Amino acid sequence: MVNKHDVKKRMRQLAAEYIHEPQQEAYKLDDTEMMLHIGPQNPIQPGPFLIDLKISGETVRDSKLYMGYGHKGIEKILESMTYIQGLPVTDRICYLASLSNNEAYVSSVERLLDIEPPERSQYIRVIMQELSRIQSHLLGTGEYATDLGFVTMFLFMIREREYVLGLIEDITGARITHCFPRFGGVREDLPDGWREKAIDVLSMINEKCEMYKELFSSDRTYRMRTVDIGTLTKEDVIKAGLTGPALRATGIDYDVRKVYPTLTYPDIDFKVQTAKKGDIFNRVMVRINEIQESCWIIEQALDQMKPGPLFPDELPYGRRTPSMRVPPGEAYVPVEDPRGEMAMYIVSDGTDKPYRVKIRGPAFALMQGLPPMLENVYIADVPAIAASMDSCNSEVDR
Amino acid sequence: MLEEQMDILLGILYTILGNDYWWGPWIRGVIGLCAMGGIMVAAMFAVWLERKYASDIQSRIGPNRVGGKYGLLQLIADAIKLFTKEDIKPDKVDGPVWAGAPILMFGSALLMIIAIPFGAFIFNGVTYPLAVTQFDISILYLEAVSAIGIIGIFMAGWGSNNKFSVIAAFRNIARMIGYEVALGLTIVSVVIVTGSLNIVDIVEAQGSVIWFAFVMPLGFVIFGVSLIADMGRVPFDQNEAEEELIAGWGTEYSGMRFGLAYFAEYIHMVLGSCIAVLIFLGGWNMPGFLVDLHIPLIGLLPAGIFLAKWVLVMMFVIMIRWALPRIRIDQVTSIGWKVLFPLAMVNLVWAAMIGLVWPW
Amino acid sequence: MDELTVLDSLKSQFPDAVADALIDSQPPHIVCANVDKGKIVDVCSYLKDNLQFNRLSGITSVDFPEDGKFEVVYLIASYDHSVIVKLKAEVPRDDNPSIDTVIPVWWNANWYEREVYEFMGIYFDGHPEMTVLVLSDDMMGEWPLRKDYQEFPQTTAKYPYSDDQESIVEEKYPLEWKSWPTERHYLE
Repeated sequence: MVNKHDVKKRMRQLAAEYIHEPQQEAYKLDDTEMMLHIGPQNPIQPGPFLIDLKISGETVRDSKLYMGYGHKGIEKILESMTYIQGLPVTDRICYLASLSNNEAYVSSVERLLDIEPPERSQYIRVIMQELSRIQSHLLGTGEYATDLGFVTMFLFMIREREYVLGLIEDITGARITHCFPRFGGVREDLPDGWREKAIDVLSMINEKCEMYKELFSSDRTYRMRTVDIGTLTKEDVIKAGLTGPALRATGIDYDVRKVYPTLTYPDIDFKVQTAKKGDIFNRVMVRINEIQESCWIIEQALDQMKPGPLFPDELPYGRRTPSMRVPPGEAYVPVEDPRGEMAMYIVSDGTDKPYRVKIRGPAFALMQGLPPMLENVYIADVPAIAASMDSCNSEVDR
Repeated sequence: MLEEQMDILLGILYTILGNDYWWGPWIRGVIGLCAMGGIMVAAMFAVWLERKYASDIQSRIGPNRVGGKYGLLQLIADAIKLFTKEDIKPDKVDGPVWAGAPILMFGSALLMIIAIPFGAFIFNGVTYPLAVTQFDISILYLEAVSAIGIIGIFMAGWGSNNKFSVIAAFRNIARMIGYEVALGLTIVSVVIVTGSLNIVDIVEAQGSVIWFAFVMPLGFVIFGVSLIADMGRVPFDQNEAEEELIAGWGTEYSGMRFGLAYFAEYIHMVLGSCIAVLIFLGGWNMPGFLVDLHIPLIGLLPAGIFLAKWVLVMMFVIMIRWALPRIRIDQVTSIGWKVLFPLAMVNLVWAAMIGLVWPW
Repeated sequence: MDELTVLDSLKSQFPDAVADALIDSQPPHIVCANVDKGKIVDVCSYLKDNLQFNRLSGITSVDFPEDGKFEVVYLIASYDHSVIVKLKAEVPRDDNPSIDTVIPVWWNANWYEREVYEFMGIYFDGHPEMTVLVLSDDMMGEWPLRKDYQEFPQTTAKYPYSDDQESIVEEKYPLEWKSWPTERHYLE
């Protein structure tokens, strides 16, 4: 049992040390202004971050973003683990898109090892990437809908996401952190009967996406909240260095799958989804269009796949060797995450552990570009804009 | 034969409830308390209906464990949970203001009970409305008392000593000022047509001709929108918007204080739907041909009709909540003042013209 | 825009500032070059203005304690073509390593440079706001990603809270309530 008086004494000590807000330079306020801290435990997005808003009435005059509440030191951890031990760690950089993180890591190490996975593994990896993209977009758009008060859309999208997660679980065995690709191939092949099940699920998701697009476009109150709000022009987006759906909604068609094609993306025919105006409404539409495009990509990949080996014949060190030594060099391979361009810059010095791993995540640029977007905006628009950018706090903090 | 027995029964009722003996007013007080209890049960039903209907819209199953397969006693379990929570009073709140706010909200909702007739029994062509009292200015009284709840929410927002609550309180006042005007104007237009402020007269006026919803459809639509704004439900629930304001005015409340306020909101929804049914949708009026059929105990049917209409109105209100997103506060006030207020004035003129030709 | 064009124009424009320029043999064919520390802003503005490299992908740093240097790596890409350029600038590993900031060229270099500063200690001259980004406020000055950072538990499992070892962590963040009173004192 803790003594109540000890607790009170400690609280008084802490209160005496705390620098009162108006004395800090950043917090000088007018008479009409108020400082609102949407604090680390915030309902806006998954993951803790602090956003300070200086408001006057209901308009935001200034905003400041504080990150770092979820810092895990992944880059330092990866320096003390072997390459194969580091693979589950990269899962947890952004848990919603863990297959893309794995893919970036494994592709970079494969460049260093100078091996290339055979064709069947490449097709399986493409299928997993697209499935991960579908489920991440469904969850991101659903969470954005709750931030507007539109709870029913969230529950609809979660319902579809369960089917997709069931498909992923059939192959990888996990719903959220998969750790599926391996250096030179993938861990397991597609199970029997998966292909027919996948085609059913994907056609259902295609229909439901048509319904979502219609629900979003025809709802008058939804359009009042999202059209022409949080607009980004092409110059803003290029200045902020964004990638992903937030960039494509302004009309620039830049997709890592077309610009730096890896795996078997050149053989698959798909369109890059863009929109004309970079407001919230169009960003969400781009994401839903991307879900439909991913369904089409998976169907093509399933058609084009042929039976074959999963690993190349001459692997330098076998599939599961923990003490695999990687030749010295540097590698950087960009991969299309659901949020943008994801890459890992790996420096190796010839031993069995990496020398330096730098994780270049897409959410970093999205978070950096958020405070300039929040000028002269109502308080009620702040969660809508922040959620429509669909960034992931654990990827920024690593 | 049946009519004589009804006369004897009515005589007994008048003796018990009348002022002839000393126990009359006390028994009427007890009946008032029972009415209060009945309203609580109705609010419980409203909560259950909302949870089940919402889960139906969202393609899931709602509460299905407590109280049988349909989860009918779920609210009792929630109330027990709220009662047994620790009562946390933050250090810096403004004591009486903070503590008095849920009481004020609950009280204003309960004050509305005494003037609303929840259906009626019709025997021998005489209507006995099931209201605790009837008085001549009942509709004016109802609107006035429902506005006291706003003061309660503002007290909650101000007394909590919390920036989020204060913003919520400001938004609330802005919303209510705009929509009370439109609400009042539509009620005034109904009163103009009827010629009396007594709510029983309004229902009977509809019984003689046709429902007011068909007479002034514009007024009905305005009344519907203003009622949903008055109740503080989505799309007008900016004062408790979770994403920006972390539960708005209710941020510092926990346990039964929060339970009181939450319950008060549902009671307000119940009573608001009752008023909508009474004023615009014909109240308890039966179609005329049923009276002529002389079915025994047909006099009890109007109460059932009232109940059915009330459930339909509540289901409509719940459906609106779960189907639409929330709109921003500046859009709320602009709709209230720029759209609803001029239309309510137009409706007033229309009602004045109708009132000239309305058959008394 | 080809990798060879970029390589040739870089070599011809900055013959002494840029050294060891080559192209990776594997896709994506990255143009790598070592840049002199003082000329980094000139090279970057040249890349942005003349060769349309309008996207900064990232700024990182690598620590080489044996060679006595830090390497600051700039990964530069473009929205208009598909060439990636990797520039490496050497910063000597002394008491105040510093380099010029490239914020005038690309606006989004802001957070990348803050992160490099808080992890490695390389100061960027001209940066408007050098504070912690991802670490906590009291960890500024510890440069966690350097190779000689002591307070990181090694994976060959030395558990830092054993009884016979003096732990660095306990010194810095002492536990205050070491003894829990067994009774409540109601009358005090």
